[in-house]
Amino acid sequence: MRNRLQHALCELDALERNARAESPLHRLDARAKLLVTAVFLATMLSIPLSRLSEILLYALYPILTASACGMRLGTLLRRSLVVIPFVALIGVFNLFYDRIPVFRIGPLTITDGWIAFLSIVLRGVLSVGALLVLIGSTGFFEICRAMQRLGVPRFFTVQLLFVYRYLYVLIDEAIRMSQAREARSFDRRSLPLAVWGTVIGQLLIRTLDRAEQIHRAMLARGFTGRIPDYGAHRTHWRREETVYLLAWSAALLLARAIGPVETLTHLLR
Amino acid sequence: MSDALVSPTVAAVAGAASLVLLGTAIRKLRPTETQPGDERIVPLMGVMGAFVFAAQMINFAIPGTGSSGHLIGGILLAAILGPWSGVLTLSSVLLLQCLLFADGGLLALGCNILNMAVLSCLVAYPLIFQPLMRAEASPVRIFTASILAATAGLGLGALAVTAETEASGITALPFGRFLLFMLPIHLAIGLCEGAATGAVLCAVRRYRPELLVDIRRQGTAGKHRTNRALAVIALAALLIGSSFSWLASSQPDGLEWSIERLTGMAEIETPDNTAHRTAATLQETTAALPDYNTSLAGLVGCGAILLVAWGGSRLLRTGHRDG
Repeated sequence: MRNRLQHALCELDALERNARAESPLHRLDARAKLLVTAVFLATMLSIPLSRLSEILLYALYPILTASACGMRLGTLLRRSLVVIPFVALIGVFNLFYDRIPVFRIGPLTITDGWIAFLSIVLRGVLSVGALLVLIGSTGFFEICRAMQRLGVPRFFTVQLLFVYRYLYVLIDEAIRMSQAREARSFDRRSLPLAVWGTVIGQLLIRTLDRAEQIHRAMLARGFTGRIPDYGAHRTHWRREETVYLLAWSAALLLARAIGPVETLTHLLR
Repeated sequence: MSDALVSPTVAAVAGAASLVLLGTAIRKLRPTETQPGDERIVPLMGVMGAFVFAAQMINFAIPGTGSSGHLIGGILLAAILGPWSGVLTLSSVLLLQCLLFADGGLLALGCNILNMAVLSCLVAYPLIFQPLMRAEASPVRIFTASILAATAGLGLGALAVTAETEASGITALPFGRFLLFMLPIHLAIGLCEGAATGAVLCAVRRYRPELLVDIRRQGTAGKHRTNRALAVIALAALLIGSSFSWLASSQPDGLEWSIERLTGMAEIETPDNTAHRTAATLQETTAALPDYNTSLAGLVGCGAILLVAWGGSRLLRTGHRDG
């Protein structure tokens, strides 16, 4: 379990490093990226499950944005696959309930259920991919600030940012505690419930004490209760942002409205 | 709940509901000019959110099974922070999980907040945990209260997930059968979650009993009544909705069957039904054939476009690196 904690810490670190890279997409205001991601999710998820090819077309969005911010597509795909087990568990029932054949590839009969199942998995992979691109090109701090600038109450955004910041501190604390425990026990992977309760209870009490200290330290450094709206990396809404938002929204909505793949195949025939 | 399992309509409805609840929570907690409130609550909530995150990564052994589980933290947060702060904190944990660890989804966030945070902090906690707790609770009482509350919270959560997935039209599984599949899993998780919450609260009671006493007083003051009314309404709506759907789908041809039973007009129903069926088969035979090619061709075409895009971006990348 220490590995799990350390793994999480490494992952957070990788995200931060990604977010600090330089690319055209990184330079865009976080608000534009957040809004485009929302449009992408809403349009992509509104496509009926039977239109697998239309959903497939939407894969263009994560591919194009990932390459615009210098993310490796292989890594993106590998990290997007995390979502599959849970989604497939729910989607697999469609295989048994929808048995109307749709088309054949050689000896293979593809049923409605298969199309629906593949669509569900694809929806999962694409939505996670879009989120990974968003966070990888923006970073968590900027997303919190963008949410605040979009009108989310500061009470929530500040709290959200706190959770993120103290994640590092508390994972560190938890690593130290479980290290001490592992040194005294013969490599048991998980703790019996009573011991676990004590460990977590101790962590909780340390946490509460720490919250008090942190708050005093922040007040001493001039914390006013909101995410500062200034600083070196503050971005403005320029023409680029408007173009980015409008172009993607138009493309995504248009693709949703006319279904280019089906229309094209109809026209060709 | 993942983005892949919701339709935008369901996501919007759930999102609006959870936005209202979160807004209420913020209004109740935010210190104002007239009522200063506790300034420390924001950092406290933040640190507690991070605590839940860290605690989720430390597993405990589930006795007798050889597997291990981890905390979810709804009841625990509500017990330490109070229900409204608990909802806010758990919501931010969920948002963080979806953004940082690709767990859940941005569009499904409203659903997740409803299923996990609201149902356990605002429904199970005030309705089950608080009435059972006493100022000087014994460990047995703490365990009982946490196990009952967590099981109820997760059971309701499973019900909500099922209802949302069905309403989104994602699964072909009938509601009743889907619920039968989801409910046992979540009740088992609820038992573990309850035991874990009980263990932590007992440890807190041993080392810092004043924390629990404090919470008790804070929780019962003032806002309790509206809170409870809201919870009762939500619970009733859920139960009515789900029991009706259960009735509707307990038979193979559920809805028609129950309508038949209710109206007693089986004779009129049947010819219509067969006509509908023949129409459907007719449509299938005529429409299915031409559709084969469309779908397959579409899939192949899309695949080709994606390959080109993928390859193009790779070329661009390598070019970028050289330059």
